[in-house]
Amino acid sequence: MKKIGIVLRYELKEYLESKGFVAFTIVLALVGAALLFLPRFIDMSDFTGVQVIGGEQQGDGQGESGEAGETGEKELYLYYDQAGVVREELLGQIFYGTDWRQAESREALTAAVEAQEAEAGFVVTGPVEYEYYVFNKSMSDNNTAMFDQAMKLFYRMDYCAENNMDLNEITAMYDVPITVSERILNKDSGSNYWYCYFLVIIVFMLIVMYGQMIAVAVTNEKSNRAIEVLVTSTTPNSLLFGKVIAGAISGLVQTGLIMGAVLISYQVNREQWGGMLDMFLHIPGDVLLSFAFFGLGGYLFYGFLYGAMGALVSKTEDVSKSSGGLQVVIMVVYFFSLLQLMNIDGPVIKVLSFLPVSSYSTMFARIAMGTVAPWEVVVSFLILAASIVGTGVLGARLYRMGTLRYGNPIKLSTALKDLKKSE
Amino acid sequence: MKLEVKNIRKSFGEKEVLHGVSFQVESGRALGLLGRNGAGKTTTIRILMDVFHANSGEILLDGKKFVPSNHRIGYLPEERGLYPKRTVLDQMIFLARLRGMNTGEARENAKKWLARLEVSEYETRKLETLSKGNQQKVQLAATLVTNPDIVILDEPFSGLDPVNSQILKDVVNELIADRRLVIFSSHQMSYVEEFCDNIAIINQGEVVLAGELREIKKDYGRNRLMLSAENYDQNRLAEKVEQEFGDLVSISGRKKEFLILELTEKGSRRKVMERLAGSDIEVERFGGYAPSLNDIFVAKVGEEE
Repeated sequence: MKKIGIVLRYELKEYLESKGFVAFTIVLALVGAALLFLPRFIDMSDFTGVQVIGGEQQGDGQGESGEAGETGEKELYLYYDQAGVVREELLGQIFYGTDWRQAESREALTAAVEAQEAEAGFVVTGPVEYEYYVFNKSMSDNNTAMFDQAMKLFYRMDYCAENNMDLNEITAMYDVPITVSERILNKDSGSNYWYCYFLVIIVFMLIVMYGQMIAVAVTNEKSNRAIEVLVTSTTPNSLLFGKVIAGAISGLVQTGLIMGAVLISYQVNREQWGGMLDMFLHIPGDVLLSFAFFGLGGYLFYGFLYGAMGALVSKTEDVSKSSGGLQVVIMVVYFFSLLQLMNIDGPVIKVLSFLPVSSYSTMFARIAMGTVAPWEVVVSFLILAASIVGTGVLGARLYRMGTLRYGNPIKLSTALKDLKKSE
Repeated sequence: MKLEVKNIRKSFGEKEVLHGVSFQVESGRALGLLGRNGAGKTTTIRILMDVFHANSGEILLDGKKFVPSNHRIGYLPEERGLYPKRTVLDQMIFLARLRGMNTGEARENAKKWLARLEVSEYETRKLETLSKGNQQKVQLAATLVTNPDIVILDEPFSGLDPVNSQILKDVVNELIADRRLVIFSSHQMSYVEEFCDNIAIINQGEVVLAGELREIKKDYGRNRLMLSAENYDQNRLAEKVEQEFGDLVSISGRKKEFLILELTEKGSRRKVMERLAGSDIEVERFGGYAPSLNDIFVAKVGEEE
């Protein structure tokens, strides 16, 4: 254990003293935090629905363009009504915060839209027909949907007038308001889905990034021939465990600092954001805790295997070859985990949450979104912990075996056969 | 301390590379492990260091099973290497700590050995910024950082210039004088000859000659004489010896300055001297021939092949 500590401190020092590591961590944490403080200093009401003037929060998040309309110029829309059905005053209400004007002709409307003097134009050719003119149609353009709504209203109004009916009465009957009082007794998958999605991505990236770093570090020891001095100075277990745990700690520190800065900054500025990022950044403590434990467990599980893969090659350019199989397993688990978030209490994710190759991402997702008994969490974690020890010992043996085998990369199957022979 | 290697056998796959290697060495003495490239020296050393496991045989220290991790051993592997991107002092302290020293001792010893090997000025530099020779010296300092009782040096002189070789020679001599047990592998005979009291010549995985160097030299020189003449060049002298001294000696070798003669069964030094006195040869050099280790090595390894 003492030797593991010595290796761990030495390796950790390398991570923490690396200018790249420190700069990356600080810059990302600061940028993340700074972005979340923006609504305090900049009017982002278009985006957040909350207006901040002189540090005081205004508005209630209603009507994006309406806010813009009160503080700035209104967007101009044109219509040319050949059917005589349009009520201009209603268009202004349906297209909130916009300015409407009747064009003199279809050509005049087209010319104004083409010259970008108007946002868009509508030529109403009949009670239920119209043409839509726009210069550049954006991805989020919903003007036709809103104009459809307006046309239907005009039609209903005309129909009621012609048939001597009361439009308000009919509307009240059709749009009777329903009051719902929702009581979620366990988890709200809808609101927990996105942060789970992001946490799965984060843990996946951590495993791949740090795993690769561990593999490269081991291969470097072979390629610079330091490995013989090391394995004759201490045990392979101390070397591999120290190296992997150091990587885990530095990953935890880095992710902790960046995520901590982002989550705390959001918490401080949550009101200014109008709670709109809750789905990503308002993560309950128990989910964060389970993420930390299972994420760390998964990291260690794969870290040892990456270390062993690094020992099977002699050149850093061969590391990706050697760890390719492992990457495939991680990728498959990653995609399955994301897919199964949609069916969080299904049998597939239940099984995945007990397998050490996948429990690191699926169990905390179940904790966050699904129904999971405490015993399931404990059993899953115990299986993961036992597997970490198993892969650690196997990894150390492969590492020891690959120590002085230079030259061509050793296949994992060959390495395992050789291990069996040496027993 | 007495280290005994007994009948070590090692196979890689189907191929046996060591066929029963045995030798022994004691504290205060140095053993030279000699052999051509690929003879089995490094494999033997790696078995000693527990990097490889022997298929059979045993290694004893003072009669008990030798477990390298229970002793402070200074091992300089043939494949040199430390961390190129870490500072010299940091990695020396790290290695000393791994070998059981506390941080204070490790720092003190690291500084001591860096000073002894004249590389103190580089202690805060990254290893990769040093010249190859200085990197070698740092590697040697890292080998000795724990003041080991057992020192195993695999080809320690390779890559060193004459000045650095001299520093290393002095250090090795100090280790021997300090009663450390030193095992030294090389194919550079002159260095082995300088330090080693005992040698073991390994050829194709077998010890073909082992023992005390002085005795081995004595044995090899016992019936050999050297002869050169003022009035004959070496070729003519060789012809004359073959014609007139053939019953007493045969020519067993030539050096740049003299012939090496081997006494026949009938021959003796006195008879050869008498015959020389009666001949027209004006003797320039005559006497017993003390073979160099190189001669012994070439003769022994050549014989085996």
